[in-house]
Amino acid sequence: MSKAQIHVTVNGTVYEAAVEPRLTLADFLRGDLNLTGTHVGCEHGVCGACTVLVDGRAVRSCLMLAVQADGREIATVESLAASDGRLHPIQEAFAEEHGLQCGFCTPGFLLAVHELLDHNPDPTEELIRDVLGGQLCRCTGYQSILRAVHLAAAKVRAVRTADAHA
Amino acid sequence: MAIEIPNRLEDLPVEELRWVGRHVRRREDPSLLTGRTEFIDDVVLPGMLHCAILRSPFPHARITGIDATQAEAAPGVTAVVTGADAQLWCNPARTAPEGWGTLCLATDKVRYVGEPVAAVAASSRYLAEDALELIEVDYEPLDPVVDPFAAMDPESPLVIEDKGTNVMLQRVFTWGEVDRALAEAAQVFTESFRWNRLGANPTETFGAVCAWDPLTLDLTVHGSIQSPSSFGLGRAADLGIPSNKVNVKSHPHGGSFGGKGGARGATIACLLSRKADGKPVKWIEDRTEYLTAGGSQAWDRHYEASLAVDEDARVTALAVTLVDDLGATGEGFGAISAAKPLAAFTGPYTIPVARYDLTLVATNKVPASPYRGMGPPPHFFVLEQMMDIAARGLAIDPAEFRRRNFIPPDQFPYTIPSGNEYDSGSYEEVLDSALDLAGYEELRKLQAEARTEGRIVGVGVASAIEPGVFDWNAYAIVGMPQTGVPEGATVSVDITGMITVRVGFALEGQGQYTLVSQLVADYFAVEMDAVRVVQLDTQSAPPSFGPGGSRLGVAISGAVLGACRRLAEKLAAVAAGLLRAEPDEIELRDGRFRVKGRPGSEMGVAQLAGTMLARSDLLPPDIDPRPEATHVWTAPGRTAADEEGRAKSYLTAAQAVHVVMVEIDPDTGFVEIVKYALADDCGTRLNPVVVEGQTEGSVAQGIGAALFEEYVYDDRAQPLTTTFMDYLTPTVNDVPALDKAVVVTPSPFTPLGAKGCGEGAIHTTPAAVMCAVNDALAPLGVMAREVPASPHRVWELLRRSEGPS
Amino acid sequence: MKPAPLDYAAPTSLTEAVTLLSDGDRDCIVIAGGQSLMPMLNMRLARPDLLVDLSRIADLDYIRDDGATLAIGAMTTKRAVEHSAVVAERQPLLHAATCLVGHPQIRNRGTVGGSLAHADPAAEYPAVAVATDSEMRVLGPAGERRIGAADFFVGYLTTALAPGEVIVEVIVPVLGAGTGWGLAEFSRRHGDFAIAGAAVTVELDSDRCCSQVRIVLFGVAATPVRLAQVEDLLRGEAPEGDFYRRAGEAVSEALDQPLSDVQASADYRRHLAGVLSRRGLAEAVGRAAERAGRSRP
Ligand SMILES: Cc1cc2nc3c(=O)[nH]c(=O)nc-3n(C[C@H](O)[C@H](O)[C@H](O)COP(=O)(O)OP(=O)(O)OC[C@H]3O[C@@H](n4cnc5c(N)ncnc54)[C@H](O)[C@@H]3O)c2cc1C
Ligand code: FES
Ligand code: FES
Repeated sequence: MSKAQIHVTVNGTVYEAAVEPRLTLADFLRGDLNLTGTHVGCEHGVCGACTVLVDGRAVRSCLMLAVQADGREIATVESLAASDGRLHPIQEAFAEEHGLQCGFCTPGFLLAVHELLDHNPDPTEELIRDVLGGQLCRCTGYQSILRAVHLAAAKVRAVRTADAHA
Repeated sequence: MAIEIPNRLEDLPVEELRWVGRHVRRREDPSLLTGRTEFIDDVVLPGMLHCAILRSPFPHARITGIDATQAEAAPGVTAVVTGADAQLWCNPARTAPEGWGTLCLATDKVRYVGEPVAAVAASSRYLAEDALELIEVDYEPLDPVVDPFAAMDPESPLVIEDKGTNVMLQRVFTWGEVDRALAEAAQVFTESFRWNRLGANPTETFGAVCAWDPLTLDLTVHGSIQSPSSFGLGRAADLGIPSNKVNVKSHPHGGSFGGKGGARGATIACLLSRKADGKPVKWIEDRTEYLTAGGSQAWDRHYEASLAVDEDARVTALAVTLVDDLGATGEGFGAISAAKPLAAFTGPYTIPVARYDLTLVATNKVPASPYRGMGPPPHFFVLEQMMDIAARGLAIDPAEFRRRNFIPPDQFPYTIPSGNEYDSGSYEEVLDSALDLAGYEELRKLQAEARTEGRIVGVGVASAIEPGVFDWNAYAIVGMPQTGVPEGATVSVDITGMITVRVGFALEGQGQYTLVSQLVADYFAVEMDAVRVVQLDTQSAPPSFGPGGSRLGVAISGAVLGACRRLAEKLAAVAAGLLRAEPDEIELRDGRFRVKGRPGSEMGVAQLAGTMLARSDLLPPDIDPRPEATHVWTAPGRTAADEEGRAKSYLTAAQAVHVVMVEIDPDTGFVEIVKYALADDCGTRLNPVVVEGQTEGSVAQGIGAALFEEYVYDDRAQPLTTTFMDYLTPTVNDVPALDKAVVVTPSPFTPLGAKGCGEGAIHTTPAAVMCAVNDALAPLGVMAREVPASPHRVWELLRRSEGPS
Repeated sequence: MKPAPLDYAAPTSLTEAVTLLSDGDRDCIVIAGGQSLMPMLNMRLARPDLLVDLSRIADLDYIRDDGATLAIGAMTTKRAVEHSAVVAERQPLLHAATCLVGHPQIRNRGTVGGSLAHADPAAEYPAVAVATDSEMRVLGPAGERRIGAADFFVGYLTTALAPGEVIVEVIVPVLGAGTGWGLAEFSRRHGDFAIAGAAVTVELDSDRCCSQVRIVLFGVAATPVRLAQVEDLLRGEAPEGDFYRRAGEAVSEALDQPLSDVQASADYRRHLAGVLSRRGLAEAVGRAAERAGRSRP
């Protein structure tokens, strides 16, 4: 069980690391890179708390080995806000609509929604529900999260329109 | 010294409230949204080791040998503990009822699947789990105790032999002349019900990092701990050390709902730390551990209930028999869930007499724990089904039947037969709001139409009480006789007028630091940003219990307002000295300390604090020069329980009415909620958006309880729901949109008139959903007596019914 | 809940992968999307010596329209299938099934080959493979071969793959011009594995009678279940009157010992199988009629 050398880009930073092959991506991000915003709630793919973006796709970091991330680009919740602390429109929307209580599930929701809106800033309710259905939240009862996602979509659209005009 | 806490919003010392009572964005959010909040699994201490626990595969077996030598020699391993270590260093867990505890690691035998048998501390969780595989345990399986009724048979195997029985407690509480009321009733309705085990399942499981110095025996515990102070006392008792040796620091946690009871795991981590020379040991319960044997499983109940009704359709008596399967030990304090219904036994109704026949039974299942609501939700499920059964029997509309039996507004404070006092309420108003909002008449029409088409549609109307602000006296009947639950806060001002509030509890989602900031900001008329809330560990914090029993919003308001008041008095005394006036001539208004009747003669908070800090020589004699004050709040007027368990226990009684419409798929038995409307009254809403969030979340958990969630054991006590693929919590697609109406009847007894509302809707939702299900099934001649009404159960009912299938 | 020690290899060619997998001394298994394997590794229910990751092998991720069939590379994700216009148009049953697999976050990584090789009794893909007469193109130490879906699923989480063999491609016949399809499943929450389900295809003759019927159940037994006797019974019948009810009853009756678990007893599954077959049939007949109408001038 020799260690494997990997080369990954996480939130824009390139990391070279030697990892045990059995190390999950979630544990690598949290333990080795100290990016503890990615949370672990079940380690069998159901809760979605560990969701991160791998090459732009929302995936469960508990269901991926760190070695499998070799050469890939990863984004975690730590990448969303601007470096001056300004929240991402999706984060803003969650704050405005009270889309979080304990906040443990939140990073996973944010990234799943991020992928959704990246591909489709005007998603149907059905599409939103398909994505959110893969994320468990025990606190909010989801109503505020649904409101937050609709608001986030509006914000993302507004940003895009502004960018297009600029 | 008693201090007056404002009971009304108008009593706060400002012209206009800027924060309290308004939709205020939460201050904790930016840190949570960016992943910066430090949850327990994010904590890394120097030299920290990782713990993994070996658990019993058997529900009931004798341990005939343990060999851990190979594990001790495994790579990365620093310490291994087994029952022998626990015998050396631990006491049996404290329990309710008393005397039903065992050691944190099994010694002679295991009593449930998942019971800890040994544990390893290693340099990583991976290595710790590797080492577990090297520990050899010899078991001699015993017959498991599975069914609580069989468990009561004198011939049954015993879960804890020394006790000589599996019955933990058997008592009948009679409040008034129940037999007579039953005998004299126009009609008596009797039915039995089953509520299956379910549990909290917060998205974050339990975790702790424990460091126990083998020399000094000083113990530090970091954890996702709901009540740090009680947790500290618990570990001191478990480990046989003085309580002042224990320091507990709770971290923000990913939800709790009462289901963060990882006491055993923490105690085991302590033992490992001691064996590892005091190094910190981290234990993070994983989800399968949580589902298999975590501190989450609640309310495994068998009920029988009778309701007596007179000629005028008034309920004259309620008798409830409960057999509660508490699992292997009393360590999870699941018993208090059987006691808490006393705080609202007769619900929102004027039922004059009642009886509670209570049996707590031990079986080879996981020890029961608290869960949001702590026992009344199943009780109200039963009471509300009985109300519907009676309404059907009397051919009265269920909403009308409830209206007729509601406690009228002019009778508050109202004492119920089981002894608790309800503070205030306006139940008919709440009912009417809910019926209006739901369009009740219209729903009944739709239902009638649907029925003519052969569809199975039902409407449920249910009402329940949420007892708020708990006190230990509520649990006296299961052996927790204390009264008084403190919450403290220290408010201090620095030389620039910035305010810091020190509290003893961690965030878990209800926005309490925001609430604290709102209160202080309005009290001293400053911006919310001028207030910072800091959490201290138990060795430095003011006395604190923390969240639980729908108390913290009210309790922390009392603590903060009390501390503000004390601080204001102090600042007023300083102002009096500096402005050459008598202290009682000084009044605080809009952040200024003014001499009454002397315009212009006034000082601000920053100025006064600055003077105190910089020039104590200028202060009047006898003034403590620190611009800070602490107040510790407890619920006023609580009484010790009498021999029938009657006490003024919970301080507030919030009330709600939920109206639900369901449609049942005749092919699959699947229950779909097609309409959900509710109205509730929890007094003054200090941050309405947070209250709403609690309601929405609690409805979702209530729907989980009614339709999805269940810990299933097979007939040999093997757990079958050990992953999130089997234990089903609701997703976004299982929770309907909610229509909500608000009624506000302020509490006459609490800070600003707020009532406990944290546990919220789960009191009413399962009852309301089940009322709707049974309303749908009634024409088919069957009744859903069992919760959850999962599709296979409902289909079985349909199959047995005379109607369409 | 952490994987046991293991070694890992990410070969860049299929031959290399097969060579690695053919090491008889070690327990070597393939990892594809990991959406079924990783939970088992985390729980230590699977503890291979060597994981052979297929994700670095070029050209296992494609959807190719070969006219009468679609060829789908084993490492194609369900996401790609879901978003493939070709699949949606040419084999809508497969497309519909894909949308029922878990959630987008699962479909982003879970592969076509993985679902077939994993052979979960409650999974949609194996049933669809049987319903469509798909073939697995597999490569192993003994070379390449094709295995028809009917012979591929041999037991609970067990396939006809020999040691060292990998699925390279699945060949899915496109939906016939006059064929209608239906897919009905029952789960307690959207995205969960099905408690029971039915994949159905129907062809109607010029008299609007069923010239061909296929019903494949999933979630009810260790493998997908095709009920030839029920299909025989329905063939030649006009889908009207109590056709659907009789079909459902025949399915329930024909089922031998359905699975029983926490969510559903054997009786309930038997009943659901009938209900879902009925619903699937109704959908399929509707679509067959529609397609027939469309293809007529
Ligand atoms: C929350 C959740 C919900 C889900 N819901 C559903 C659902 O509703 N329906 C459903 O069908 N599935 C569901 N799944 C499972 C998911 O679809 C998996 O992706 C799929 O079963 C396996 O595909 P994979 O690529 O992830 O394979 P892996 O997990 O990598 O592998 C699975 C097995 O197949 C073998 N294998 C993989 N590829 C090959 C190959 N090319 N040749 C030979 N052997 C191979 C592996 O060795 C392993 O034994 C769910 C999973 C999760 C986590
Ligand atoms: S921790 Fe990965 S899905 Fe739950
Ligand atoms: S906010 Fe607590 S789990 Fe979602």
